[in-house]
Amino acid sequence: MFRFSPIELLKSSRRLAFVVVAVLVLGTGLAQDSIDREGYFEVRSASTQAVDGVHSLDARLQLVLSSEALAALESGVTLTIEMQMQVIKVKRFLVDSVEAELTVRHELEFRPLSQRYIVKNLNSGDQDSFATLYSALNSLGRIQGLPVIDDALLEPDRSYRLRLRAMLNTQQYPASLRLLFFWRGQWQLQSEWFEWLLER
Amino acid sequence: MVVRTLKRIVLTLLAVAAVVLVLAALFLLTQTVQRSDDFDRLQDIILAINIAGGVILVLILIGNLWRLLRDYRENVPGAKLKARMVGMFVGLAVLPLIVVFYFSIQFINRGIDSWFNVQVEEGLDNALALSRAAIEFRKRQNLVATTQIAQRLASVPDRQLVFELSMLRRESGASEMTVYADNSRVLARSTDSAVATLPKPLTEEVVLQIQQERPFVSLEPLGTGNVEIRTAVAYIYRGTRQRPTRALLAHFPVEERLGNMINSVENSFSEYQQLVFFREDLKDLLTLTLAFVLLLSLLAAIYGAFLLSRRLVAPIQDLVAGTRAVAMGDFDTRLPTPTRDEIGFLISSFNDMTQRLATARREATLSQALVEAERTNLEVILARLSTGVLALEADLKIRTANQAAGSILGVSLENRSGDSIRDVASGNALLEQFVDVACVHLDAGETEWREQIVLRGEVGRRILTCACTTLPGDDDTAAGYVIVFDDITGLLQAQRDAAWGEVARRLAHEIKNPLTPIQLSAERMRRKYLATMDSDEAQILDRATHTIVQQVEAMKEMVNAFSDYARAPDMDISRFDLDKLAHEIVDLYRTQESNVKIVLTSDPMMPLVEGDQGRVRQILHNLIRNAVEALEGSSDGRIDVHIGAAEIDEVEVVQIRVEDNGPGFQTGSVSQIFDPYVTTKPKGTGLGLAIVKKLVEEHVGTIRAKNRSDGGAMISIRLPLSEAAREKMIARMPGRTEKRREKA
Repeated sequence: MFRFSPIELLKSSRRLAFVVVAVLVLGTGLAQDSIDREGYFEVRSASTQAVDGVHSLDARLQLVLSSEALAALESGVTLTIEMQMQVIKVKRFLVDSVEAELTVRHELEFRPLSQRYIVKNLNSGDQDSFATLYSALNSLGRIQGLPVIDDALLEPDRSYRLRLRAMLNTQQYPASLRLLFFWRGQWQLQSEWFEWLLER
Repeated sequence: MVVRTLKRIVLTLLAVAAVVLVLAALFLLTQTVQRSDDFDRLQDIILAINIAGGVILVLILIGNLWRLLRDYRENVPGAKLKARMVGMFVGLAVLPLIVVFYFSIQFINRGIDSWFNVQVEEGLDNALALSRAAIEFRKRQNLVATTQIAQRLASVPDRQLVFELSMLRRESGASEMTVYADNSRVLARSTDSAVATLPKPLTEEVVLQIQQERPFVSLEPLGTGNVEIRTAVAYIYRGTRQRPTRALLAHFPVEERLGNMINSVENSFSEYQQLVFFREDLKDLLTLTLAFVLLLSLLAAIYGAFLLSRRLVAPIQDLVAGTRAVAMGDFDTRLPTPTRDEIGFLISSFNDMTQRLATARREATLSQALVEAERTNLEVILARLSTGVLALEADLKIRTANQAAGSILGVSLENRSGDSIRDVASGNALLEQFVDVACVHLDAGETEWREQIVLRGEVGRRILTCACTTLPGDDDTAAGYVIVFDDITGLLQAQRDAAWGEVARRLAHEIKNPLTPIQLSAERMRRKYLATMDSDEAQILDRATHTIVQQVEAMKEMVNAFSDYARAPDMDISRFDLDKLAHEIVDLYRTQESNVKIVLTSDPMMPLVEGDQGRVRQILHNLIRNAVEALEGSSDGRIDVHIGAAEIDEVEVVQIRVEDNGPGFQTGSVSQIFDPYVTTKPKGTGLGLAIVKKLVEEHVGTIRAKNRSDGGAMISIRLPLSEAAREKMIARMPGRTEKRREKA
């Protein structure tokens, strides 16, 4: 018996359309101007402190979803918010190199039955629920005591920089939609790198 | 040509590669579209293939279009036909594509819209509302149970709190219960989990609710896929005076069956909402997909149109080029036969035609060459003929004439083709007489006639034998005339010279022999009888014998003269100084003839003359003596002798001109002055000038005589300066060559 599955069809169609978008979307005006972007991600503050030889991160981020991302979330689309952190060795005469990299991914989901926002840490598997989006994003934007790197892994007499940024990850969506999102500014939510010197 | 063929092959291979790439990409799409992992892995390759294929096709089409426009503007043969065919093919391809595109878009839009009908949406909303109502009922029950437990715990001392909490938890069916002090410190905790875990601190939301003395209840999804209801209430502990506020947090599990139903309803609702959210995107993507496929199809169709039109037009272009080549005279053009269809038949017929044309032209060329060869031979023969040949049109325009005709008639006729013979004859005495005689016969309608014509010119008579034949034309009308004539003046002169030579020889033989006995007899008679006769008779005898002897002497002189005329010894050719010879002869006459003034004008630097010195000496003697005799009785006689070298008609000649101021030639005798025994002088034998003419002709020279305008006679002679010049003059005197050579 034929089973009609709109989601599967949507995925297939999106995949098929990926090629189309790759060729034809260029310059077709589907992309929205970045000036119209409503949401933004911003790292307000970030610092590390060494506790028992391990550098832990404390940071405050402001995560504001765009209207289109918000509409997608309200429609049941799961958003993946990614925090990227890099430890960079400062070199005097050569190009600085990334010594370590840490990525923390969170899924933000809206449950229509309970009317609650679920925040799930994909790294640890922990999840919390929130009654409001504000409290969910606020929780996401508050990083406290996140272990970043063991000081023993760093060279003693070297200077290191750390940098942090947050971004809306669309990798979990079908490729065709990803390509479509690539040309839509409202899905391009990404903060600037926030950098500071590692205090040892 | 080779470069163009290679270029075309490369472009065709590129186009085929592009189509294959696109087909391969579409094949990959069909293979991977159902498998997300493969698609994610191959998406870059597929994207690159499609972009490459599309770009190659577009580039090739742009190149084709540019070339077509260029050919169209430059009016290259076949360009307009190709443009029409491409336009027609593209039109045929575009129209169905547009129709397919339009109806496909309609189908996609309506098909997708049909997924979202009101009933499904309402059903999902109702299911969600029903689930929510059911959950709300459970939440209220659990909240009431939590509140009742909190009231009972309000009076339970802390040392019994864990025991009482565990009992109440079991009674209420909760999976976990925790009592927090006002500073979120855990006072007691009871759980049915076998695994001991640390209690989580109260969330901000719970704390906020409790601070506001409002109960907290929520449906919480668990990581395992189940759901639970969490409740939290605040109560005042009455066991101490401070009466602190405590919070009770309870976790009520939801049955797995109910939890699955809740998840199912939530997932269905979420997926439906996602579908609604991405509906327009889905339409756009499908539209773009369709447009992309159709665009590729259109590009392929346009390229196919170019390819097909090129294949169709190529034989026609070959035909045009072949036709132009044939028009330019290249009949060796052979076109490749592409197919066995009608165009192939046409090209095959063209090849047959050019082959036949080439064969015909070769045969015509061969025939023309033969005709030309015959014509050349005929012209050579005509040119070599001493006989004049003159071909006239029916209207008496010159068709052709050979060199001999011009020489005989004293006018150049070789380059006068197309001119009327009457116009050409105007001003030329010989030709005028010739035309007059000819016209008499032609006007009389005589088709063939023959006549001997005597033409009178400044240099004397010219006798021609003339024969005319009419060329037959259409409708029994004359197409023209051919007049053949020969100058027999020389021949007649030669005959006359031969006759006079014979006469002279006979005279010398027959008359000279009896003259000596006559003279001897007369002298004996005188010696014998003169003394015996009386004076009267003796005087008669003396006078008679004297007369006989004198006349016999005169007859001897005359016979000797005839003998000299008949005698023709071989030419003794040598190089001698004519100037010196002339001075010797003139000086001789100057001493003898004191009453005649002889003036010699000569060029001392004149080159040596190659000829018979004795004959030239006799020529000068005869001419000067002839002039001296003509001046007998004249008191102021004068003879001018001019000798000089000149180049006439590229032939080096010696000109000898002797003029006197005597009575001149009698009118009418000029043309016969060189005949023997023709003289205007009372004492002349009539052989002097005849001998001169004979000697001049033996040198292949020419002699002319005429009266001077101021009185007197003039005889002009031209002798070749050398043997080479003599050969040239022989070559230019057709009809006389052999005779001169024989005489020489």
